Amino acid sequence: MSDLALVLGVASITFATRVAFLVKPRSAPGGRVGRFLEVFPLALFIAIATSGLVAPLGSAQLTANLAGALGGVIGGVLFRRSLWGVLGLGAACFYLARAIIG
Amino acid sequence: MFGNASFRKGARDSVLILFAVGAFGVAYGVLAVDAGLSQTLTLFSSVIIVSGAAQFAMVGLLAAGPVPILLAATGLGLRHLPMSARLADIIESQSLLTRLRLAFILVDETFGLTIRAHDAGVDDVVAYKTAADLMLYSGWIIGTAAGAWFGSSIDPEAAGIGVLFGLLFLGLAAPMVKVRRDWVVAGAAVVATLIATATLPVAWQVSTAAVAASLVGLAIDE
Repeated sequence: MSDLALVLGVASITFATRVAFLVKPRSAPGGRVGRFLEVFPLALFIAIATSGLVAPLGSAQLTANLAGALGGVIGGVLFRRSLWGVLGLGAACFYLARAIIG
Repeated sequence: MFGNASFRKGARDSVLILFAVGAFGVAYGVLAVDAGLSQTLTLFSSVIIVSGAAQFAMVGLLAAGPVPILLAATGLGLRHLPMSARLADIIESQSLLTRLRLAFILVDETFGLTIRAHDAGVDDVVAYKTAADLMLYSGWIIGTAAGAWFGSSIDPEAAGIGVLFGLLFLGLAAPMVKVRRDWVVAGAAVVATLIATATLPVAWQVSTAAVAASLVGLAIDE
């Protein structure tokens, strides 16, 4: 698959999910599917974050990345789960740890 | 619409988003070109996808092939479904063209602002969201172009941009953790990712871990 086709594919999927309830308003799915949809984004975000922060090289590493992850979690707790709280404290801990441990 | 008070309020409320999203756009531009996308395609991706999460996932998984990228885009897109349903409730009788336009930039930041503005009684929610969307879109496009064309002197690893990518997803997850079940799902996702990282090919690690953790959440509900 070419890079252009990939970009168009991601764009189509993203737009389809955004427009799903706006073309013809209807109620959100319920039951098991609804509950799965409810928790799946959280699980996916955490999986991607873990993959990038805790195990960037294929296994858990005690690196500055891990300090960034811990800082991000603390930032989330301190700043009421704010995106910018997570980013700010996480980045600060990462750069501090990297300056110390290299 | 473009001159009314709601539009101006939407623009004012989004100034911070303009700069923050612009900075992320620069990071995306640098990472995407570093991952192998051409500068033009990098900019084009920001013009038509308009999703930091999906685009960062795309360049992060570029080496793993199209299947995990499209799976990740689908998984990331699932969070739009409840947002789309909620927005449909708010805008009700707008024309199809307006609804399509509002859907095109249905992102976490401007959706959050729009809901807050609606709850606060802003007169024209469509004008408000349009202004917020334009601010975000401008920042994202300009930032991406700057990163793609002028970011070659930035070493993504040395600058720690990869870490910001991981933190972005952690930050997007944070507001979703509300009840005990969510903490369990988050913990299960960490454990499942570590296991998947050690046992599965790169292409299946993240999606398998996410499905496994979601099933844990489903089991807790029942």
